[in-house]
Amino acid sequence: MDRNGKPDAHKRAKLSEGAKNQLITGNEAVALGALRAGVRVVTGYPGTPSSGALGSLLQMDAEESRHFEWSTNEKIAFDIAAGTAWAGQRAMCTMKMSGLNVASDSVFSIAHSGVNGGLVIYVADDPGAHAGMVEQDSRGYARMMDLPMVEPMTVAEAYEMVILAFELSERIGSPVFVRSVTSIANSHAAVMVDEPVAPEDREPILERDIAKYTKAGSAIAQAQHHDVIRRLRQAGEAMREMGLNDLRLAHEPGGVGIISAGVVGAYLDEAFALLEDAVPQWRQPSVLRVRGTNPFPAEEARRLFARCDTIVVLEELEPHLERQAWVEARRSDFGGRIVGKLDGTFERVGEYGVGHVVRGVSEALGLEEPRAMERGAVYEKADRLTAARPITVCAGCPHRGTFLAINRALRQRKLHRDEVMVTGDIGCTILGMNPPFETVWNEVSMGASIGLAQGYVYSGLKTPVIATIGDSTFFHGGIPGLINAVQHQVDLTVIIMDNYWTAMTGMQTNPGTQATFQPSGNRRIDLAELIPAMGVEHFFVIDPFQLEEATTTVADALRLPGVKVVLARQECAIQAQRRGLRAGLVAVDAELCTACRRCITVTGCPSLSLDDETVSIDQGLCYGCSLCAQVCPFEAIEIKREGHP
Amino acid sequence: MTERSTGSTYDVVLVGVGGQGVLTIGRLMAEAALDADLGVNFYPTKGMAQRGGGVKVQVRIGRGIVGPQIPEGRADLVVAMERSEALKGVTCVRPGGEFLLYGHVWEPTQVMLGKADYPAEEQVRELILAAGARLRYLDPDGLHSCDGARMPANIYVLGAAVGGTDLGRVLDPEAVLDLVRRRWERHAALNEAAFGAGLEAMSHGP
Ligand SMILES: Cc1ncc(C[n+]2csc(CCOP(=O)(O)OP(=O)(O)O)c2C)c(N)n1
Ligand code: SF4
Ligand code: SF4
Repeated sequence: MDRNGKPDAHKRAKLSEGAKNQLITGNEAVALGALRAGVRVVTGYPGTPSSGALGSLLQMDAEESRHFEWSTNEKIAFDIAAGTAWAGQRAMCTMKMSGLNVASDSVFSIAHSGVNGGLVIYVADDPGAHAGMVEQDSRGYARMMDLPMVEPMTVAEAYEMVILAFELSERIGSPVFVRSVTSIANSHAAVMVDEPVAPEDREPILERDIAKYTKAGSAIAQAQHHDVIRRLRQAGEAMREMGLNDLRLAHEPGGVGIISAGVVGAYLDEAFALLEDAVPQWRQPSVLRVRGTNPFPAEEARRLFARCDTIVVLEELEPHLERQAWVEARRSDFGGRIVGKLDGTFERVGEYGVGHVVRGVSEALGLEEPRAMERGAVYEKADRLTAARPITVCAGCPHRGTFLAINRALRQRKLHRDEVMVTGDIGCTILGMNPPFETVWNEVSMGASIGLAQGYVYSGLKTPVIATIGDSTFFHGGIPGLINAVQHQVDLTVIIMDNYWTAMTGMQTNPGTQATFQPSGNRRIDLAELIPAMGVEHFFVIDPFQLEEATTTVADALRLPGVKVVLARQECAIQAQRRGLRAGLVAVDAELCTACRRCITVTGCPSLSLDDETVSIDQGLCYGCSLCAQVCPFEAIEIKREGHP
Repeated sequence: MTERSTGSTYDVVLVGVGGQGVLTIGRLMAEAALDADLGVNFYPTKGMAQRGGGVKVQVRIGRGIVGPQIPEGRADLVVAMERSEALKGVTCVRPGGEFLLYGHVWEPTQVMLGKADYPAEEQVRELILAAGARLRYLDPDGLHSCDGARMPANIYVLGAAVGGTDLGRVLDPEAVLDLVRRRWERHAALNEAAFGAGLEAMSHGP
């Protein structure tokens, strides 16, 4: 930042006449930054909070020479981007933190080989785990892989940071990470957006050099290990030259020194203003705002140590900067305290805000943390009285029918739900864990449901074992699991809930999306053709809106030996409704309705509610799937019209 | 620590249930701030894609560099679009700040079935006041039909927020209405009526 509190982004990038101030998200800033950097290929796999980056590119009209795609999973997405970068062109790959686990095998390898064209990996972490999954810190990968990583402090910086990352990548010949977090990826703020720059017309590089492009043998592997270490050192030098990490030393020596990572730097001034009001003889701390989180800015840190008595490290999740601060402290004979996670002041869990800065500085100054007011009891009561809102599937969601069919099939087979393992997977399909279904037991990682189920089969269970998985998840990581189960002839039922879209992350296309909605020039892969070809002998297709047939089919499948696959097909209701479709029309017959509430307790559909003496249907929400009508014991819900799907 | 609004800055928290249009009015506030050349950060948080979960939006107006999250107990204004969700705003509002409570009730299924509790309006009011906020109540009954079409509740609430709280000193109500008109040209009349009804409802005082 400059002294006026404006992002110093302008200092680094010269804006053209055509630059416009736009209200965009951090993800859009990443996308537009990549266009400005002349990116040629952008690939990715959806995952909150990263999806908006590639999602927005796919909605733009881009030059012919560019290619954007949702790939089948993150590893494939990365492999594509890496191939493009090896051929000398600029490429970017986008994913959420969990996606980096999937891509990591290739990323390590490419890190050691290096690249020719610029290669940027955009990874979005989710401190606070707003979207669920493991609350993990991608900075650990950057350290393990010896790859440079930059982190914007604000939405506006995300735009600059991507452009800078491409420059850095080509300067040192290495992939570069741009890491953001949920509060930046999903925040909207004003950004000066410059015109896109078409990809440079570069002749593709075809270079035969096994020492660079293979890992064959110790000599090659060790030489590459030296190379990656050298490149990271060069990255550190380049970052210093680019002025990425912002060191502001207080005028007088002594006092508190702060090291902040990424977004946390944006809370410092606000916290200082609060502290200034509360602390007598307040002195503005020295500050090192770190935007290049790998490699650690050791030189700047040593200058901070030389000036300050006490250091406060403010970073979300893991104490990466803090650990390295300790190393530099030892090297530079800094004898003061370092306040952070390692001394127990902060936890390694959750997001940071102004309160953390206040607490850290108070701790460093040996003050009681100033409390705004004693409102704790009021807050606690407000929290306690808030009605819980367990999330369930949408009105008309096809998964509802599948969960009900599984539950009913078990009952038909005289099995209790608590004695049958139904493994779950990632996506809207996991909502079967919640009431009123309580069908699904667990959730691990993309595609894990099938392997997990196989493990339960070997555990000695006497009851059938079922795996449930969504279509996108099946393509992403479920296929190897199914092939394994077929090869080993496991007694297992796999239920694939095919709603044609990658729904939970906001409706991206996947290989199974209907042909009409595939991006132009793409071919659809039909699961109904693929699965029998994988050697599955018992293959069934059900319509989750036809409860009785679906139930019988699942119950029959459970009786058969070997691998059974049930493909439950019906489009995601939200997507269908966006095109004005309805599965049908239902209405409550007030004469017949006894207000027994069965439709509500069994389906949990959000369009149903209890009016004085009868159930009523919110026709604005209702999709007409007719599941409520099918579970009503009094035939009080009339199916007026069968609809399109 | 003193509890003051720094004058040139203004922080708004909006809470409600997914599907109520909370995100839309937050975004409109952010656009109006941008049009007025004020620094702004708009941070929506919602659970997953499904409807029916809680939604929280944070709009920070008038700062240069700004972290997306408003510190606990420091929002100048909380706008709550649902009675129970309003309780999540209690921890956000600053003492002396304003709390616009739109009294709509959206009961979760468990409550409807009598298996879980739901807060009474009196309890919610009490806690808002205990947090030191000035309560502004917006009656859902003020929302009526216009030429047979139902007015959008979120635009009604937006009208009340810019017309009946200090937000109206930061964002010009006319400019906000103009944004609304331009956003949905086909429903301009209906939205204008909703906006006006919100404004009107607040003119009677708290
Ligand atoms: C490795 C990894 N990548 C991405 C995600 C994000 N993610 C969560 S759910 C989901 C999509 C699931 O789609 P599908 O299996 O079709 O189920 P649906 O939501 O459509 O029911 C994705 C991509 C993740 N959790 N892990
Ligand atoms: S988004 Fe689609 S798949 Fe997900 S719960 Fe809603 S209807 Fe079901
Ligand atoms: S038909 Fe019944 S279960 Fe299906 S969406 Fe409408 S109200 Fe819900």
